[in-house]
Amino acid sequence: MPRKLQIELFLLDNLIWVLLACFFLLNALITPMFATYGNLVNILYHSAIMSMLVLGQGLILVSGHLDLSLESTLVFAPGVAMLLATRWLPFQLDPVTTIILTLAIGALVGLFNGVCIAKIGVNPFLQTLSLMIILRGLVLFLVPLSIFPLDKVYTFAGQARMIGNIPVAVPIVFIIFLFFHFIMQYTAFGRHFVATGGNARASYISGINTGRMVIYAFVIAGFLAAVAGLLAAGRQDSVSNTMGEGMVMLAFAGAILGGASLEGGKGTPLGMLGGALLLGMISNSLNLLGVGVTLVYATQGALIFVAIVLDRIRIKRRNYLLHREQVRRLLIQEQGG
Amino acid sequence: MGHQDGDAPPEANPDDTALKLQGISKIYPGTVALHKVNINVKKGEVHGIIGKNGAGKSTLVEIIAGITTPTAGKIFIGGEGYDSLSRIDARRKKIAIVPQEPQLILDFTVAENLFISDYTRWGWLINWQGLYTRAEEIVKKANLHINVRVRAGDLSVSEQQLLLVLKACYVEQSDIIILDEASASLAQRDEELLYRIIRERKGGGCTILFISHRAEELLKVCDRVTVLRDGHSISTKNCRELDRDKLSDLIVGEKFCRHIKVDQGQLKKDLGETVLAVENLTRLGVYQEISFQLKKGEILGLAGLRGSGRTEIFRGIVGIDHPDEGTIFVNGQRRCYRSPAAALGDGIVYLPEDREREGLISNLSVRENLMLNALDTVKRGLLLNRSKESRAVADLIKELDIKVASPEQEVNQLSGGNKQKVVVGKIAAAGPQIFLLDEPTRGVDISAKQGILNIVRNSLCREAGIVITSPGLEDLINICDRILVLHRGRITGEFLRGNLRESDLFSAVQGGAQEKCPGLVASYVS
Repeated sequence: MPRKLQIELFLLDNLIWVLLACFFLLNALITPMFATYGNLVNILYHSAIMSMLVLGQGLILVSGHLDLSLESTLVFAPGVAMLLATRWLPFQLDPVTTIILTLAIGALVGLFNGVCIAKIGVNPFLQTLSLMIILRGLVLFLVPLSIFPLDKVYTFAGQARMIGNIPVAVPIVFIIFLFFHFIMQYTAFGRHFVATGGNARASYISGINTGRMVIYAFVIAGFLAAVAGLLAAGRQDSVSNTMGEGMVMLAFAGAILGGASLEGGKGTPLGMLGGALLLGMISNSLNLLGVGVTLVYATQGALIFVAIVLDRIRIKRRNYLLHREQVRRLLIQEQGG
Repeated sequence: MGHQDGDAPPEANPDDTALKLQGISKIYPGTVALHKVNINVKKGEVHGIIGKNGAGKSTLVEIIAGITTPTAGKIFIGGEGYDSLSRIDARRKKIAIVPQEPQLILDFTVAENLFISDYTRWGWLINWQGLYTRAEEIVKKANLHINVRVRAGDLSVSEQQLLLVLKACYVEQSDIIILDEASASLAQRDEELLYRIIRERKGGGCTILFISHRAEELLKVCDRVTVLRDGHSISTKNCRELDRDKLSDLIVGEKFCRHIKVDQGQLKKDLGETVLAVENLTRLGVYQEISFQLKKGEILGLAGLRGSGRTEIFRGIVGIDHPDEGTIFVNGQRRCYRSPAAALGDGIVYLPEDREREGLISNLSVRENLMLNALDTVKRGLLLNRSKESRAVADLIKELDIKVASPEQEVNQLSGGNKQKVVVGKIAAAGPQIFLLDEPTRGVDISAKQGILNIVRNSLCREAGIVITSPGLEDLINICDRILVLHRGRITGEFLRGNLRESDLFSAVQGGAQEKCPGLVASYVS
């Protein structure tokens, strides 16, 4: 394969980092106060919650499905865990148990989704749409306003800062991304997971338990949504019933910008981190430029659109390049023979 | 390979020619499907096209119907020449095609399916009453007993196929009707209906192209027949001059092409113990009472036409589509697999015939595809040992002679033959004890085919038993120790390695065995 083609393919496959670099340079030049230490830390901090949803959504996309209920799991898990810890049980739970409970509830919601989709064969869109509404409704019923204040230990992950004024949330998020990147690349589980999304039929025939892979995908995503809920609750020192509203669509945008595809089998966790950072950077720069809140929302919508179009263009361009290469090789063969 | 036009009069008066193909070639990446094919179809005749699987029949027909475009050559319809046709052009030229697989809108009624391209209308509104009346007329005319108001999906496959024939013959009012293996999915009593429709249309002045791989049927229905072999048009003959044996010889070819060097007489004596035994395996309507045994080191061929149940038996054994009855013994122990994952656990691997849809994860790399089944062998604790994996991949690539720029190359960039080798490598990597290979040589070029067969014969079968099917009988003859003949879902014959002739096997596959000894399993052991 010619070197030029290789480079072009490499750039297409890592489009997110190219975009991120371009956007960073652009902002560093035109946006005041953008390229300061404080602001960059701020971007990372504000991306943390969204990035967990992006990773969850991205992994589900890799497995060939989608999950709309993540944004409701984000509030449902900490909400129910908190209620259990403080009201429903005859005794008080300690904060660490509550944290574990939060994560477990997220994973259980995912398990329910996964089992319905993989075993009963419910359409993933309809399944998670209904769960999104059910969970949000339950939270509105159970938590009329918000639960506060929360325990220091419970809010530690979302609120505490460490050396250099870096929020604890930032390294936590980075470690989680690296962990999943490692799992996807270096374990048999990860490879079977990606293969299932790439071609479920072929994977099944190859002897992969594809149903189980799909269930794992939803469990992991539910778990990550609960982590996001933990960070969100920690940051605002309360569990409010509107947490996470409208975030799932942006999570799609982030995951697709990060290299995932609705067709499944594509994308890496590190790419998704790039997608999440790009989302955070865009909303940060719009803030700094003084764009109104309502317009920011429209801009985010535009962003989803751009993400989808870019994904199509990228795939088209890629197929075109590869097809041209094949034809070229065939012609060489013809001339040679 | 020579190709002459037989006794077809090439300089005939153009009014007499309905369709002429001149030097049609079609190249797919990695394989040549058609090579300078010439065919001359006269007006008002039933023209048969016959050839083995992979001879290029379907590609040829798709070119005529405007579904695929040829790489080179010219198509003449009624004296006008075209480089290629679109489907719309072909329809305008009154060419109708009945494809191999029934393609209907299953939730629409029978009547609606018939008239989907040509509703009876009152202005903008559909005249439902008129639609049903016309549909009933047509169905009656063909002597078919179908209620035109039921869903098409409620019909049997055979009836669905006939429905498409009716649509092509009576609704579209075409001059040239292409029936691509139309009889393959027909029940026996519906075949007679089909033949009658063909005769009736011929009387009405239509030209019919009848594609089949069943020699006997072709001789019964057609006026003239063109034989395709390996993408070449071999000859066109009048059916009156032919009988089944002559036609079989033409299809198979005079000289047997031997691609692999093996001793014909050599029969392996030192086979191991029985690894797989299948008893009375039955899936209603698909295959019946299938029994065979497979020994370690043995290569067992399953020879049969498309639809004879080869693929379905494999799928039954590994647990994709469960058999209704029968038992499977692996190493003497009774087994019933619920999924291919369970079968893999016992060392049984299945190579599906459709490599793009079922064999490969096309957007993953060659390395990832090759190791998909064998990740356990390169694990250290929970993690994969990447250097061990790279070595295993390099070994496989070398052993199978896969042409790749690097193991990290995406598998969908490879040619068909190399893709197929990746699939073979994938299932071999796990070191199984039973291989079920469904058409491992399908759609690959001659050198890749030879490579794959060599691997099967020389390395795969050392530690395992192999059941294999192939689009070409000569492949089976070259590598199998034993060949079972399947006809309409039953085992009808057995050939042992030795002095068997391809034309004997060919005629057995066509159903010859059943006629010679009805009720008995014929044995061709000599």
